[in-house]
Amino acid sequence: MTPEPIFPFRHHGRTGAAVRVALVNLGLNIVTLSFWRFWGRTNVRRLLWGGTSVWDDPVEYTGLGGELFKGFLLVLLVVYLPLLGLYGWAQVLIAAEDPRGGLMLAGLYPLTIFLIAVGGFRARRYQLSRTLWRGIRGGQTGSAVGYALRSMAVWVLVPLTLGWALPWGEMMLARYRLGHTTFGDRTFACDAGVKGLYARMAVMWLCGAVYLTLAVGFAVLLEQWGIEEEAGAFYLAMLALGAVFVLVVPWAWYRAAVFTRLAAGTSFDGHRFTAQVRTWPLIRLVLGNALISLFSLGVLRPWAAQRTFRFTCSVMAVDGVPDFAAIHQSADHGPSTGEGLVSVLDGAGEF
Amino acid sequence: MQSDRPGRFNDGRSASSRKVMVRAMATGVEIRGEDGFLIAVWKTDDLVADGELPDGKGVRLRCAAEPDARLAIADAVFVREALSVPPKRFRPVRWGLAAGLILGAGVLIGLYLSLPDLSRLGAAMMPPQTERAWGSQIAAGFERQMRACRSPAGSEALARLTDRLTAGLPPERRAVTVRVLDGKVVNALALPGAEIIVFRGLIDEAGGPDELAGVLAHELTHVAERHPAAALIRGLGVGVIATVITGDASGLVASGLVTVMASAYTRDDEAAADRGALALLTRAGIGKDGFAAFFHRLEGREASGGLLPAWMSTHPDSKARAEAVETATAAAKSLPPSLRDTEWQAIKAICGGV
Repeated sequence: MTPEPIFPFRHHGRTGAAVRVALVNLGLNIVTLSFWRFWGRTNVRRLLWGGTSVWDDPVEYTGLGGELFKGFLLVLLVVYLPLLGLYGWAQVLIAAEDPRGGLMLAGLYPLTIFLIAVGGFRARRYQLSRTLWRGIRGGQTGSAVGYALRSMAVWVLVPLTLGWALPWGEMMLARYRLGHTTFGDRTFACDAGVKGLYARMAVMWLCGAVYLTLAVGFAVLLEQWGIEEEAGAFYLAMLALGAVFVLVVPWAWYRAAVFTRLAAGTSFDGHRFTAQVRTWPLIRLVLGNALISLFSLGVLRPWAAQRTFRFTCSVMAVDGVPDFAAIHQSADHGPSTGEGLVSVLDGAGEF
Repeated sequence: MQSDRPGRFNDGRSASSRKVMVRAMATGVEIRGEDGFLIAVWKTDDLVADGELPDGKGVRLRCAAEPDARLAIADAVFVREALSVPPKRFRPVRWGLAAGLILGAGVLIGLYLSLPDLSRLGAAMMPPQTERAWGSQIAAGFERQMRACRSPAGSEALARLTDRLTAGLPPERRAVTVRVLDGKVVNALALPGAEIIVFRGLIDEAGGPDELAGVLAHELTHVAERHPAAALIRGLGVGVIATVITGDASGLVASGLVTVMASAYTRDDEAAADRGALALLTRAGIGKDGFAAFFHRLEGREASGGLLPAWMSTHPDSKARAEAVETATAAAKSLPPSLRDTEWQAIKAICGGV
């Protein structure tokens, strides 16, 4: 007998509040030469987390802007400036036609990508350790280096296999992330596999291949016929319009399956999650968010993030109520500073 | 007034939520289970307001002494009615924020001010052969785009003029390569190492050997003081500072700032090179009038409203520079020209034609 799914998650934050925080942050970022960004990001998270409730109790974000700022300064001094020095040195060696310059760069590029991957995992640890519900902390175990090495393996394999390693790779990484996510003294379990994903992957891949072939074919034909510029522009417009249908729809169909599999593979305290993600609402969410970010030049990304929170809360269900009395506070307080690597190496950041 | 209000309590030790009755006392609040047993007493001074529940369903309270515990009370009126002092809003300390911003700004200002010295230090620490290789690499890049001009007589005359000027430099800085490139711009460049590039446009424009000597002396001073390497390192440093301020690693904002800030620094280098050029000319026994005349010529070009010569873009006002050269204490007046007329004509014709 399958128990009736419960929908304990709700997001009740209002759009106006997200837009207001975004605009205030924009103003303060301008005045402070963008130094406000650490506190601004914190305010956005406080709004998003606080607007979410689980079994009628709100989630809290307890991170501080100062922690992000300290993390940033630390990484700037310890990682970024030395790295930049090494890059500069390699450039000088290359300019001087010294073969060691090329060797250095060949080592520096993977190192940078590795550090970005490490930073992503560490940022997640920081955020979870600042996420509270009913006063109990979330957290993340596992090794950032181990996660980064796995990520790099996936990033190498995906292009090598022409994309076919993607479903396996992203589920493997997600299993690592979710399987090392904790709430209090309990760890989430994740055994999500690739079942059902490869069929959708095949459709997505074929659509992509057909689209690419047609696009290149038409370009070659136009070249041979010697079509003038207006026809070229028309061709580009048709190509973009075609992409929405031929690429976005199969992609969303695939992503919906990824989310569904991921939720179904994840459990906490013996209770499984489910996510009823359908293709059209997902397309609406993603395209809407893309338009919001694009037309506001990224300023209104908090609004886009809020839409994602709202969507996720509305689709997530769980098949039972965990025994909360048996879940105790975590002894791990998490890192004292946060997200330095990410905010330095991936300057665009989250919000 | 004592009245019990229903609420929900999390003790911060487990994730369970239990129904409680909350009673306001003169000294704080008492939290009792539904069975009436006392669970906790929170003192008034420790109470912290923790926002409202969604849809106006109540308020939340915290206790500074038990940071992980949470209390939600269904009746919002409770807080106002029960507590003599309004509870503190939960606020992270803003002093740290202010101090952090001031510290950050201080570090940046310090970096900005010390950047010229730091980059000079960096240039001085660079091994000479590396700097030389770097410079000849850049020069080779120019030569791929523009023809290098050579002629036996012209190159020899140019070398003689250069040698006369470098005699005033320290011995280890005397080996300098001067290239003439077939380009229209009225400009000359000093590159890292000991590379100087003179464009044909400048030789065409110059009215005599002393004018060219002045320009060469200027560039030689740049080379001797390792300005080009320092300037390139400085540009890198400005880029780093811009990235730190804006958090934009794409370099879009950075490249703009580099242009603005770098030109402010360059003016100091140019003034130093003008002073050094005067010293070199004097040592070589070449009159400074040609140097001043060249600046007047540039001034004329600027006034005529034509395109600004590239020479100008990072350099101070030509008129001011001409005056600075003229008022500098001079060596004996009316020195002979630095090159014989045949030599000067050979240099003029080094790119062929005219």
